[in-house]
Amino acid sequence: MKPAPFAYAAPTTEDEVLDLLAEHGDEGKVIAGGQSLLPMLSMRLARPSVLIDLNGVAGLAGITEFDGGVAFGATTRERAAERSALVGDRLPVLAEALPLIGHEAIRNRGTIGGSIAHADASAELPAVAAVTDAQLVLRSRAGGERVLSAAEFFQGHYTTALADDELLTEVRIPGSPPGAGWAFTEVARRHGDFALVGVAAMVVLDDAGSVEAARLCLMGVADVPLRLPAVEASLAGQPVSADTVAAAATDAVAGLELASDVHGSGDFRRHLAEVTVRRALTTAADRAGAPA
Amino acid sequence: MTEVGARAVGASVRRVEDPRILTGRGRYLDDVVLPGMLHAAFLRSYAPHGRLLSVDVAEALELPGVVAVYTGADMQRLTEPGKPGVIAGMDQMPGMALPASYGLAVDKVRHVGDPIALVVAESRYLAEDALELIEVDIEPLEAVVSYADALDPAKPPLFEEVGSNLAFQMELPLGDVDGAFARADRVLTATISVHRHHPNPMETRGIVASWDSAAQKLTLHASTQSPHMLRLLLPPQIGVPMEQIRVLAADVGGGFGLKNSVFREDVAVAAAAKDLGRPVKWVEDRLEHLATGGHAREEKADVELAVTDDGRIIGARLDLVLNVGAYLADPFPGSTMAMAAVMFFQGPMKLEALGAKATSVFSNKATYVSYRGPWATGDFLRERSLDIVARELGLDPVEVRRRNYVVRDESPLAMLTGTPYLGVTTRECLEEAVRLLDVPAFRERQEAARAEGRYLGLGLAAYLEGAPPPKTNGERQADIVGDETTYLAVDERGRVVITTRQQPHGQGHQTTLAQVAADELGVRFTDIDVLWGDTDITPVALIGTGGSRAATMANGSVLHGSRALKAKVLALAAELLEADAGDLELADSTVSVRGTPGIALPLAELARIVATEPERLPDGVDADLRITEVFDGGEGGWSGGVHACVVEVDVETGLVAFERYVVVEDCGLPVNPAIVEGQIRGGVAQAVGAVLLEHAAYDEDGQFVAASFLDYLMPTSTLVPDIEVHHVQTVLNDPDVNFRGVGEGGMIVAPAAITSAIEDALAPFGAQVREQHLPPSRILELVGTVPVR
Repeated sequence: MKPAPFAYAAPTTEDEVLDLLAEHGDEGKVIAGGQSLLPMLSMRLARPSVLIDLNGVAGLAGITEFDGGVAFGATTRERAAERSALVGDRLPVLAEALPLIGHEAIRNRGTIGGSIAHADASAELPAVAAVTDAQLVLRSRAGGERVLSAAEFFQGHYTTALADDELLTEVRIPGSPPGAGWAFTEVARRHGDFALVGVAAMVVLDDAGSVEAARLCLMGVADVPLRLPAVEASLAGQPVSADTVAAAATDAVAGLELASDVHGSGDFRRHLAEVTVRRALTTAADRAGAPA
Repeated sequence: MTEVGARAVGASVRRVEDPRILTGRGRYLDDVVLPGMLHAAFLRSYAPHGRLLSVDVAEALELPGVVAVYTGADMQRLTEPGKPGVIAGMDQMPGMALPASYGLAVDKVRHVGDPIALVVAESRYLAEDALELIEVDIEPLEAVVSYADALDPAKPPLFEEVGSNLAFQMELPLGDVDGAFARADRVLTATISVHRHHPNPMETRGIVASWDSAAQKLTLHASTQSPHMLRLLLPPQIGVPMEQIRVLAADVGGGFGLKNSVFREDVAVAAAAKDLGRPVKWVEDRLEHLATGGHAREEKADVELAVTDDGRIIGARLDLVLNVGAYLADPFPGSTMAMAAVMFFQGPMKLEALGAKATSVFSNKATYVSYRGPWATGDFLRERSLDIVARELGLDPVEVRRRNYVVRDESPLAMLTGTPYLGVTTRECLEEAVRLLDVPAFRERQEAARAEGRYLGLGLAAYLEGAPPPKTNGERQADIVGDETTYLAVDERGRVVITTRQQPHGQGHQTTLAQVAADELGVRFTDIDVLWGDTDITPVALIGTGGSRAATMANGSVLHGSRALKAKVLALAAELLEADAGDLELADSTVSVRGTPGIALPLAELARIVATEPERLPDGVDADLRITEVFDGGEGGWSGGVHACVVEVDVETGLVAFERYVVVEDCGLPVNPAIVEGQIRGGVAQAVGAVLLEHAAYDEDGQFVAASFLDYLMPTSTLVPDIEVHHVQTVLNDPDVNFRGVGEGGMIVAPAAITSAIEDALAPFGAQVREQHLPPSRILELVGTVPVR
């Protein structure tokens, strides 16, 4: 479990990082918290020629207000976000998801941008980005800056729209619709594990107590964080009831193609997904003010 | 935790080890750095089973920094094959197949991770780079994976010389089995299984081997439970005589039985170091360890129970099969654990007859090693059986246990094997557990919870652990581990030095042995040094620490040795003080005359006189303050008890949460209650892992699919419950030594208690738990919401 040989670069400015990425292309790999990359290096599953360390780069970390929500510099530590009053105030779904990421020691190192750029479809932050319609700021020497939606950004397991010479510099999460209830629910065999399945949900109720808008994102069931627009749309206008929620949960898992692994069969995961969608929607509706 | 008071034994004295270990200043195998040391890495088989056609190391040898690459052919040149179990007499057992093997695969690979080549380089990084340059050609053979595969004569034998995949077979008829079944009101049957999982200590395996060509002496630094074991097992394989081998082991980061073996890797690394004349270090990484470090506990048994209508199991037939994997552990082949498991089926149960058949089979899996209570499947089978009887007859599992567990001083007074139930307190422990959990109130609460869709369950199980057990007809039963020798001395500084054969790897012997000596000698706890882990100074023993034996054997040896040493000290002091030895006492590290304050001889002063002023000693006086104490275990006795727990099962997700976990146990007189409770809690934590998380799984083709910590899940602090430990009044068997082992008990009994509780929780679904491993996916199968895989 020792990495294959690599060169190590320790730039101090974003410009230097972009120059290094332009020079090394797909042979270069940025490292921030290293919580996913280091094990992959040690198991020789990742073999970059050049490791570009972002930890000494000034100005890449920080938590600021953005459009009623919050913007995160890419190297903002997960633990810093977890402890941020602004996050607690404006992004309840992120606040609920953060403590589920690994353990405190992992969150002390792991970064918001790192987890999203790594794009593990079982990870919490990509699901949060997808359910909140986050915007991802990408910069490169050749292409300057572009801003992608989460839907555009996540393309597959460990695969994103990031070009080889591009750096994810900022994650912008817009504010919550007024009155929205949010929930982040996952099932993991142990606290801190990659979840078997997780669901981020939002419910907004109208004056009559029916669903005005809903969002649903499943993690761990596809190669990307899976938004379900059809199910979200079908919930609109429905009264909040156990039947409504159960029907949505059934719909949500109907089309999933799930593989078996050492933790359980595809049927097992489908069952868990259905239970978790139901639980997340119920909690989100409760938090939106639905009568118990 | 307490400081040492007037009496050290019985107090939770702070561990002497802790400041070192808890602040990261322990010295483990990987901390050993020797001048000119090289680093080893093994190329391991990706194939479960195949013929090794060629191994091409030419390119690897050209990589700068690579010093040597060894293959199976080199091992044939440099070593003799290892014959597992021979030193422990296993070759004398009928029905036992003991195929020999070299440190590296020669003509076949037999499991994923089988070592094929050994690279020695200037760094581990370079060694791993070189592994990628070795070309291996393997012709696949059909994999032997399951019990059925191994028992199928059409499948290829792993070892051609054995001719089949049968590793061990024996039958054990105890009592009138047919008679018991004839008297039974009904016969119940079940197939019960335990899955492959493993010790997985925090410190993996490893060795640093160093050859002194001038002295022709081999020094081994090892992460082992038994330093002398390497000296006893390696000589025939590497051609260095035992007296030319020194083994050193400082701190060891856990073993749980695994490290009571000498491994093929040890042989290969030692041979390489001798061949190169330079020190070679191998530290197993976690990927290697999970795949090949040593697995345990893959057994299944067809159980037939002769049951009376009042819920008693009067007879049993067991047909147990153990999947031992490919290469046998040396010196304790896992195949023998099949016998141990059936023999421990009875435990504290009033069984009248047992007909047992035990079979072990080879398969294309990693080596089966001893793991914390290697016979524990026997206990699991018994406790599952008692729950099966309870459900079948509609009786409460507590009541069934009352009717089946032995009562102290009532018939039967001995097990079917003849070992007496002397001082057994199982029933006392059971009643205390029932009281603590308030079982009648729980049943009401359980009923109310079910009405709300919440599923609570209560489970309990009992065990006995003898280390050693009471004597049978006044005789100690044959025991390959043997008596316990300890050297005790007062050195020239007046410090008491205890040199033990024990090899602590978490047990705190540095503390506990000093506690016993402090009380017996009247010497300050802080004036005692405990030495271990250097075969040049420690007593020879096949096993260092294992089998829960230190509590009775090492403490007993220190107790008696301290008394003998004290007598020597007082006799010598009597000469110097011109007093009668009978009037002297030793307290607070000082000899004084009873009733005559003011006359005192500190032990340090006595030692100084012996060392520097021998002329002050009268002629002919014995001034040799050294003792060699050999202790046979005394009368022995039972450790044991009952574990009981309450769980809640989320029947939608299959997740299990503990509401309460209670241990009621009898380990004799604990030397250090905090250490005793730590042993128990650690065992329970491993059981939580075994039942809910850990499975060393292979797919049907023999590929290993639990190869990282993503797939092999260890218990974490959030999952392990608070574990209450309650002690019952013990029965003293021996006039002096009533400390009893607790190392294995927690892990032996807890899997049965936890599975029992889960089955109880799932009773409304008609769930029948016949296996030990109950991950969420399996629980949902039992609930009926997910199809059986």
